[in-house]
Amino acid sequence: MNHRRIFILLAIVLAMAFVLSACAQPPATETPKQEAPAEATAAPAEEKPAEPAASEEPVTITFWNAMSGSRGEVVKDLVDTFNEKYPKYKVEAEYTGSYAETLTKALAAYKAGEAPTIVQVYEVGTRTMLDSDAIIPVYTMNKGEVDWNEVVEPIRKYYSVDGNLYCMPFNSSTAMLYYNKDMFEKAGLDPEKPPTTWAEVEEYSKKIMDAGVAEGGFSMGWPAWIFEQMYAWHNQLYANNDNGRSGLATELYVNSDFGKMVLGEWQRMAKEGVLVYGGRKYKANDPFLAQQFPFLFQSTSSLGGILKKADFNVGTAFLPRFDGDYEKGNSVVGGGCLWVMDTATPAQQEAAWEFLKYTFSPERAVIWHKGTGYFPTSNTAYEMLKEEGWFEKEPNFATAFNQILSGNDTPASRGVLLGPFVQIRDVMGTAIEEAVVNGQDVGKTLDNAAAESNQLLADYAQLHGK
Amino acid sequence: MQTRFPNKTLPYLLLAPSVIIVFIFFVIPSIQSLYLSFYRVSPLGNKKIFIGLQNFIRLFHDPGYLNSIVTSFKFAIFVVALGLAVSMGVAVVANQRLRGFGAYRTLLIWPYALSPAIAGLIWAQMMDPNIGLTSHLLKTLFGVHFNYQTNGQQALFFISVAAAWKMLGYNIIFFLAGLQSLPVELLEAAAIDGAGAWRRFWKITFPMLSPTTFFLFIMNTLYAFFQVFGLVHITTEGGPGRATDIMVYKLYRDGFEGMNTGYASAQSIILLIMVATLTILQFRYAGSRVHYQ
Amino acid sequence: MLSVMIILLFPMIYAFLIATQTPAQYYQFPPRFLPGSSFFENIHTAWDRINLGRLLFNTCVVAISVAIGKIILSVTAAFAFVYFNFKGKAFFFITILITHMLPLPVRIVPTFELIDQFNWINTFKGLTIPFFASATGVLLFRQLYRTIPPSLADAARIDGAGPLQFFWSIVIPLSKTNMAALFLIEFIYMWNQYLWPLIIANADRTRVVQIGLKQLVDTDAAVDWHIVMAGALIATLPPLILLIIMQRSLIEGMSFYEEK
Repeated sequence: MNHRRIFILLAIVLAMAFVLSACAQPPATETPKQEAPAEATAAPAEEKPAEPAASEEPVTITFWNAMSGSRGEVVKDLVDTFNEKYPKYKVEAEYTGSYAETLTKALAAYKAGEAPTIVQVYEVGTRTMLDSDAIIPVYTMNKGEVDWNEVVEPIRKYYSVDGNLYCMPFNSSTAMLYYNKDMFEKAGLDPEKPPTTWAEVEEYSKKIMDAGVAEGGFSMGWPAWIFEQMYAWHNQLYANNDNGRSGLATELYVNSDFGKMVLGEWQRMAKEGVLVYGGRKYKANDPFLAQQFPFLFQSTSSLGGILKKADFNVGTAFLPRFDGDYEKGNSVVGGGCLWVMDTATPAQQEAAWEFLKYTFSPERAVIWHKGTGYFPTSNTAYEMLKEEGWFEKEPNFATAFNQILSGNDTPASRGVLLGPFVQIRDVMGTAIEEAVVNGQDVGKTLDNAAAESNQLLADYAQLHGK
Repeated sequence: MQTRFPNKTLPYLLLAPSVIIVFIFFVIPSIQSLYLSFYRVSPLGNKKIFIGLQNFIRLFHDPGYLNSIVTSFKFAIFVVALGLAVSMGVAVVANQRLRGFGAYRTLLIWPYALSPAIAGLIWAQMMDPNIGLTSHLLKTLFGVHFNYQTNGQQALFFISVAAAWKMLGYNIIFFLAGLQSLPVELLEAAAIDGAGAWRRFWKITFPMLSPTTFFLFIMNTLYAFFQVFGLVHITTEGGPGRATDIMVYKLYRDGFEGMNTGYASAQSIILLIMVATLTILQFRYAGSRVHYQ
Repeated sequence: MLSVMIILLFPMIYAFLIATQTPAQYYQFPPRFLPGSSFFENIHTAWDRINLGRLLFNTCVVAISVAIGKIILSVTAAFAFVYFNFKGKAFFFITILITHMLPLPVRIVPTFELIDQFNWINTFKGLTIPFFASATGVLLFRQLYRTIPPSLADAARIDGAGPLQFFWSIVIPLSKTNMAALFLIEFIYMWNQYLWPLIIANADRTRVVQIGLKQLVDTDAAVDWHIVMAGALIATLPPLILLIIMQRSLIEGMSFYEEK
């Protein structure tokens, strides 16, 4: 038998594995926080003329976030710069997976008494955080240093309950219309005159399709979210109790006449080949970039990526409106907000507040906006960008901003807060697919979706009702 | 019968680590799954409401869950049928020309080292609607506009192919081992009697291979139900629509994205019943086989 | 036969080709079946983009410690089952076998909560310890020990050697082939885990490579397939190399599964 041989092999492999891991492993074991040693942005500059406080241990706080890739780099830079500037504090940022994973894990860690000090939560998780009894609302931390009116209004309103801001807006985005200017030209349309109504979207689409420039008309990312946007944009409530803001929502209005009209239109256009269903999240970006259709409804956070990868001229425009007697609402803010967990010690709370203020400072907000494409969250930052001519150079970055500032502030336009929002988004996403892709009856599909969602809301209310 | 050492405490000490881990991480959590399945639990776990069998009743009225059961079964049937048929075919062919078989075998085993997630990535690239080779082929050969990102049926086809492909090497090795243990005389006798290759395969090889086939059937079924989470999570995320929302993925979404732990636990119990059935089937069969050997 | 092999392995070969190409090269039609010009660049980009070094290190730690942990626990348990008579033997045996019937999804919520209570979220302990018990391993070694000639143990007893001495000097050396097989199987098994590391350890310090790869595909616009394939290639290499070197053990180990 060749036990010996196999064991020698095993030994070799083990040795290899260790060698591999040894070279694979930067000096990270000792200081696990300092990932990516290649990035020498801030670490070596540690020895700057710090205050004498350097002899004391800095107050350490943890910051869990869902920002990966290039956005993660910007977060890293933010944290490094803060740590350098405030040696009294030490922020440890950690990428903890997707938004959903980050939220689940933060709550689990809270249960175990190991909660992060600050956690980034997406808009879908807002109600969960509000109802968790596990957070310190940021408005209670503010001792007058920050003027909340500085926060861009629609963003502030989204994360406020009874006029009080509960978390620090961080990465905010909304939906807008992207279009392919080259296709406009080829079809003889004016590329500087994007459609403003759905009827025009359809009309232009058909012109472009008839001219043989594209196979389809438009597609949308996050279809359920675009559906929500349509409600707010036309000032329609999505759920009762003022969109779940004056009390827990118990009934969804997705099967209202308005909802049936929207989905009915989408279904009709899908049947005519104008609406090309492109999948959820960012899946529709690829065919848009491959020039299969001229229009894309997508989050503003995709702007950077689309501009970088598109080999055609990209235009952006406000969301189109439906014809009819609908009041103007506003487009809804999505994205993430920073929440402070109540397990933080007073010293950590102080550090957290200092960090939140820093993220909100106009200078950082400008860097954040340029680096990621998310909104600058403060009005001053917006002014600064305007002054330096950023929006003239990059007009596409102004579109969404002008869109949310152009809207009206009403209960319906502030966006909906739902407890089981993750599941309801999924229910709605499926309903839209049923209607648009599989051609199911719109009324029935929406009635079923509403019933399913109301059940989820009832379960949630049973757990959280006072 | 082995010699036994007369020691009263040592065996317990030797067993303790295994048994403790099994109890803490396997037995007790499984019982807790059952317990939790009767409750509705808040995301932080601080509020629990006893709701009896409501979670289970809900499950069988939830179009999402019913869909995930159907999807899982379709997926499993496809993976098992495709995987076993192809690998049995390859094994039978390979068995006829055994020269240099060692080298082939080496290559065949390679996909075994791949994770389902990576198999998924490789096939996602092969079937990418824009650059994928397979999508190009399907378009040119059959005029099929292949886009698994928007077409549910195609998405299910895509994950099934990826999952079945990953298991091929494993299956082929077992089939080859099974084939080589077949009595050569029987096949030769049949050949002398004038039975054609096809007939010999159906009358002799296939039935005599059935223990291996059965074993692989169980292994592939367990694989299709329980080990392809990564494949789905890294590629389709259950979509488009709910077309690839297999049971384990649905469980993950409800339990760890929706934080509906009671509901997720009820789904765990359904899975437990399924796996128990399969395992009992396997043990019973394997048990009876031993007597014949 | 060779052609069949090539068809079966084609996706791997093609994935490798993509990993060597630039987008311009793999976007062209008809597709080219030649290596492209940016292999090392792609590897480099993938490596930096998701910090692959760290991911590989983490995965190595997890796979090696679980493989070794399982070997130790199953060898000792199998030794106890074969060489001793004690109360509750059948009960314990069934207890260990029952792990076969309880795959992770069946107990995932409470196990997650348990790990949470232990404060093992985002730790290597949480990633590895729940995997240490192995029914396969116990069965594998139990079967082996039953075939060791009883005369060896008798001789040991007559020589006055205790069970532990016998275990160490006779049983362990005889177990080496099976240990190698189990090591290989469990290493690959752990290397390829996905669900558990996703929910328990998706943080910079403990993230494993399978989960890390997801970040490469999660982009807003147009997946960089050359980078993804380069990353996937690197992530497959350690188990693949191990498999190629040790494949004899794998076949021995696999054939055991069938006999079980």
